[in-house]
Amino acid sequence: MKSARFTRSWPWVAALAAAALVLPIVVADPFVLDIFIRVLLFAFIGVAWNLMGGYAKQLSLGHAAYFGLGAYTSTILLIRFGISPWIGILAGGVVAMAASLPIGALCFRLRGPYFAIATIATAQVLMLLFLKFRDFAWGAEGTTLPNLGDAPLMMQFESRAAYYYMALALLALGLAITYLIERSWMGFYLVAVGEDEDAAEAVGVDTTKIKRHIYLISAFLTALAGTFYVEYIYFIDPNTAFSFNVSVEAALVSIVGGIGTLWGPVVGTVLLEATSALLQSWFGSGHGGVQLTVYSLILIAVILWRPNGLIGLFTELYQRFAYAGAGRAKEVPLDG
Amino acid sequence: MLATLAQAVINGLLIGGIYALVSIGVTLIFGVVKIVNFAQGEFVMIGMYISFFLASSFGVDPLLSLLISMPALFVVGVLVQHFLIRRVLALGDMPQIFLTFALSLLLMNVALLLFTANYRTVQTAYSELSFHIGPLYFAAAKLIAFVIAMLLSAVLYLFLHGTDIGKAMRAAAQNREVAMLMGINPDRVFCVAVGVALALAGAAGSLLMPFYPAYPLVGQVFVLMAFVAVVLGTLGNITGALIASLMMGVAESLGVQFVGADSGLIVVFVMLLLTLALRPNGLFGGWAR
Repeated sequence: MKSARFTRSWPWVAALAAAALVLPIVVADPFVLDIFIRVLLFAFIGVAWNLMGGYAKQLSLGHAAYFGLGAYTSTILLIRFGISPWIGILAGGVVAMAASLPIGALCFRLRGPYFAIATIATAQVLMLLFLKFRDFAWGAEGTTLPNLGDAPLMMQFESRAAYYYMALALLALGLAITYLIERSWMGFYLVAVGEDEDAAEAVGVDTTKIKRHIYLISAFLTALAGTFYVEYIYFIDPNTAFSFNVSVEAALVSIVGGIGTLWGPVVGTVLLEATSALLQSWFGSGHGGVQLTVYSLILIAVILWRPNGLIGLFTELYQRFAYAGAGRAKEVPLDG
Repeated sequence: MLATLAQAVINGLLIGGIYALVSIGVTLIFGVVKIVNFAQGEFVMIGMYISFFLASSFGVDPLLSLLISMPALFVVGVLVQHFLIRRVLALGDMPQIFLTFALSLLLMNVALLLFTANYRTVQTAYSELSFHIGPLYFAAAKLIAFVIAMLLSAVLYLFLHGTDIGKAMRAAAQNREVAMLMGINPDRVFCVAVGVALALAGAAGSLLMPFYPAYPLVGQVFVLMAFVAVVLGTLGNITGALIASLMMGVAESLGVQFVGADSGLIVVFVMLLLTLALRPNGLFGGWAR
């Protein structure tokens, strides 16, 4: 069934990828391109969160920890040692993986809401520590990144399209990893842990090990996003790098789209960022509370009426539309 | 040195009384309804704004406005339970966590839209008042807040042990199925539990107002502290939450005094992580999830 679904969705994915590839050629407006870069980046962070939060249902609210570690590792390597962010981005990923081991060892003792709270605490502790590291990591003031002009080897580009393609590549990487995991033994183990941890343990799944492994992958990917983000905005401080909003948005886009699904985070990000862009054009950017007010209303609505996310709604509508003419809508299993 | 230490402990205990009101609410909801209320801090914030507007518009003393903020938030609690929480009780972890989380985001940002991010303070006759015992000094407003907080905790204890609905709540906390078999109506018990918990948060808000500024994100300070205290004091254990809250207040105050002004939160979080590492069931705990 999975492969049937795959072949059915394949032309759509190809069309979407083609559209994403030609988009910067069609759209020249840097402001619009910036919105798309944000969509791709947050979709990617959502995909990284979804591996752990969606499939294994380990609902982390502290992914900003890895975003921040990625951002700081590459920036420190760049400014203190002149090392290219291309190396820094991988180093950041490795640092995040290393950090996920002790954090996971602590937090995985707890389940459900208290796991979420413990992950918030770890991200906050890291932020507070970086606020205190004055001589090593610039403390609360943060620092701007040196502008090297057009230096592709240092991950700095004149054209915004280059950043767009990099964000697109990250998202493609995240989706590919999710796709592979979803179809492997690991994917089934993860879903088993997510459904019922005790039952999974009882049938022989090493739940501690599987959670540790998926946390490593999720932390690594989130750190890549952190490096990309500071390279894109040329600025870093603890409040940006370890922003609670990053943790929240990672979870939010996945839940709104549909947790534990390949495309859920992408659907969620597109919806939320489109809403956010609309709100900004209506209200201007002056009203700090508008965007999150609307986000939280959407989140409450999704939880009460569509706890599986909006992606299920779309597949249902699509199937009803696509198969209505042939009159065999009932035969198609709805497993979106 | 000893006087500084004693002073830090006293300051910590006094603010710990406020933390206790918040964390008792969190642990009460967790014990009875089995939901972690991420929005508890925002109800403290609402209590603060109720007291602020009553004081600034009608000149009502914040301590007197306790009589309005508590019943108002009790009603809010009943409505939140009936229209929101009740609907996710049969669902999994994700909706249960993110419903109150979304509510917290919503209330914070609506407050930001309505009241702006400005700090609001209320000056009372006793806001600046303090008195000394030997080398130690007590701020009157904090002392009053602490005493009322402890009184309210005692009243809650009597309520849980002396009234039928209180006993029903404890029964539902111990074993929901058996409680239902004994004829306890869970919907009603849950509504009262959430109502009482929110009324305590409202009380904390009103008690804070004479010496603490109100702003839309103020709840985050208290809810984080409450979560740590609730874990430390063993989930669902009200006495545990009370003692742990006082400890948290003292730990924070000692951190500020001896490590640095911005280290209060680090101390608190490190305590949480140490608790998780060494005693995941809390200090008073037999059971955990």
